[in-house]
Amino acid sequence: MSVQAQLTKGKITLKGSARIVTEFFMYGINSILFQRGIYPVEEFEVKKKYGLDIWVSNDQQVQKYLEKIMNSVEEWLSMGKINKLVLAVNSREARETLERWQFDIQLVDEEVVVAGEQPKPPKSEKALRLEIQAIFRQIAASVSFLPIIEEKCTFNILVYADSDAEVPTTWTDSDPLHIKNAEQVRLRSFSTDAHRVEAMVAYRRDPDLC
Amino acid sequence: MSENPQKVLHSGSNATVGQARTQSRALKDERLARPSPRSVGRPGPGSADGTASALRPAGPPSPRSKKTKPAAQYDRFIPNRSAMDMASSQFNIARADSDIPLDGASIAYQEEVARACGVSINKRILKFKEEAPTSEKDDLRQVYSRPALKSSAPTGAKRRILNTPERVLDAPDLVDDYYLNLLDWSLGNTLAIGLDQSVYLWNATTGDVNSLCQLEGEAYIASVKWTADGTYLAIGTSEGDVQIWDAESQSKIRTMAGHQARVGVMSWERHVLSSGCQDGSIWNHDVRIANHKTAELIAHSSEVCGLTWRSDGALLASGGNDNLVNIWDARSAVPKFTKTQHTAAVRALAWSPWQLNLLASGGGSYDRHVHFWNTTTTARLNSIDTGSQVTSIQWSSEYRELATSHGFPHNHLALWSYPALTKIVDIPAHDTRVLHTAMSPDGQTIATAACDESLKFWRIFETRSKCGKGSKATSSVAAAASGAGVGTGASAAGILDMSRPSHIR
Repeated sequence: MSVQAQLTKGKITLKGSARIVTEFFMYGINSILFQRGIYPVEEFEVKKKYGLDIWVSNDQQVQKYLEKIMNSVEEWLSMGKINKLVLAVNSREARETLERWQFDIQLVDEEVVVAGEQPKPPKSEKALRLEIQAIFRQIAASVSFLPIIEEKCTFNILVYADSDAEVPTTWTDSDPLHIKNAEQVRLRSFSTDAHRVEAMVAYRRDPDLC
Repeated sequence: MSENPQKVLHSGSNATVGQARTQSRALKDERLARPSPRSVGRPGPGSADGTASALRPAGPPSPRSKKTKPAAQYDRFIPNRSAMDMASSQFNIARADSDIPLDGASIAYQEEVARACGVSINKRILKFKEEAPTSEKDDLRQVYSRPALKSSAPTGAKRRILNTPERVLDAPDLVDDYYLNLLDWSLGNTLAIGLDQSVYLWNATTGDVNSLCQLEGEAYIASVKWTADGTYLAIGTSEGDVQIWDAESQSKIRTMAGHQARVGVMSWERHVLSSGCQDGSIWNHDVRIANHKTAELIAHSSEVCGLTWRSDGALLASGGNDNLVNIWDARSAVPKFTKTQHTAAVRALAWSPWQLNLLASGGGSYDRHVHFWNTTTTARLNSIDTGSQVTSIQWSSEYRELATSHGFPHNHLALWSYPALTKIVDIPAHDTRVLHTAMSPDGQTIATAACDESLKFWRIFETRSKCGKGSKATSSVAAAASGAGVGTGASAAGILDMSRPSHIR
């Protein structure tokens, strides 16, 4: 059953919502990798999604890497075990975190139906798409205030999960990779009927400015 | 009145006798009455008791009780304070100390505290173990949008060609004869030079010199040539013998006799050695078999002074004192074609490394021209009038350039670009005509030998990556430029060892 059918039928199931959120993460991470120059421009191609042109990596290795991560993330999402996803951009030489993109995930509780009140209508596909579009536009616009990254960088994906989540061997415990003296900017959020995703970016305050 | 036990003691000891007595009585009373709490009159020595629980926390810690600190402020080594979640780590440390099993109330209490502190107890932070794939390519956005302050991009580098040799070695007794070819540089970075009756090997990596062989009687060395892999050295003598020597073991493998006059020039093509003789004949020897002479190529009427195989082994170019240039097909004994443009002896012959059918030939003192030939179509592509006797030509594999060495009057090295044929620079090389040149295996340095008893090394074709890094001068002094070359170009990690100028003796 496709996601769209689910949408038109009624409320999105947790699984369907997990799929939507995972897709959003996939495209979002690709977009951030492109914008911040983690990989050179030649390794990206344009794909149409959410009514926008989004730059997605066409490098086999990167795609496979992200797919592996997203599979685990989707599983956790559908079980509601994950509450944050973080993309940390680290400098390769200094091994220091330069930027931290954090996506908070909350499970939207079942609406308590008060007597006499209509239950909230399910989120329409259009509204969801508009919200996601807004976030992508903001990510693209963030280059205006994010400091230029001069050096070669790599990235890490961190997941804040419940302690009772099933963790495959490909994941290990880690530090949160916070940035000291960070500037934080909260971006827009979107929510399906089951998950609410809020985005924010933290970056190193430029020591020269102040 | 102070409630400090210490002070009480002190005042007790300072009191007059009378007072002391009353005090001691009071103390005694105190001691007797200690168990029962009573209002404070004079607290007993050594401890503020009675209402001890009320008193102690109020007073400053006495010297005796210095060691007690509040329990939760231990100093511990924490690797990276700023990146760690201090609240939660501290909480966990404190929590780990307690062995008391948690009942429902304490769990709830802990959770409340945790929530208040913004700390998550039962959350794990997970990281994907595998590292993200790296991309080695430069991001074009950064390369092109960078402000012009840093110059790390290779396009900003200037190639420097020194006017002074990188290194000078002693080369006495070099025979002053235009028709001999006494210098060759092997792939294994060993330079072989024939000095009168002996051949010396100079190891460019280590700087060692040893004498390979010494000829008897009146014979002298007429030509030296390394095999392509640098394991064997062919030596042509004035008697007409061609000797094959193993460089590693420094022993003679075989002697191939037969020529009637001196063997002034040789060229290897895998296992075939072509030798050019003073009588105008060129012999092909297969060095693997006993009956080594496999072909005799006769087309020159006087001494063969230039001989070189093409890199693919299909064509052999030969130049003679009769001003002819002959191109031979490997399979035939008659020349494919002959060129007569030169008006003097053709000693300088070189095939281009990037265009297979391009041959450059240089003429002697009467001719002074370098002609470029397309050996497939037999057409003459270009010519340069160099202005003086051309003794040798070396193409560069890194750049589209060629270097020619000259004799009278300037005894210089000239660098030309191809196909523009513009002169890039003139480098005054020696005091007498530059007789021999050899190219280093990495293609960056040219060695030149002349009768002024010196063997000089010129780093003309420095590889581009080294140019970009702004290498520092080590031993060469930068001289004023006469053409494009200024400043420094040597890098300490080059082939030649800068610290040991040695002599060949």
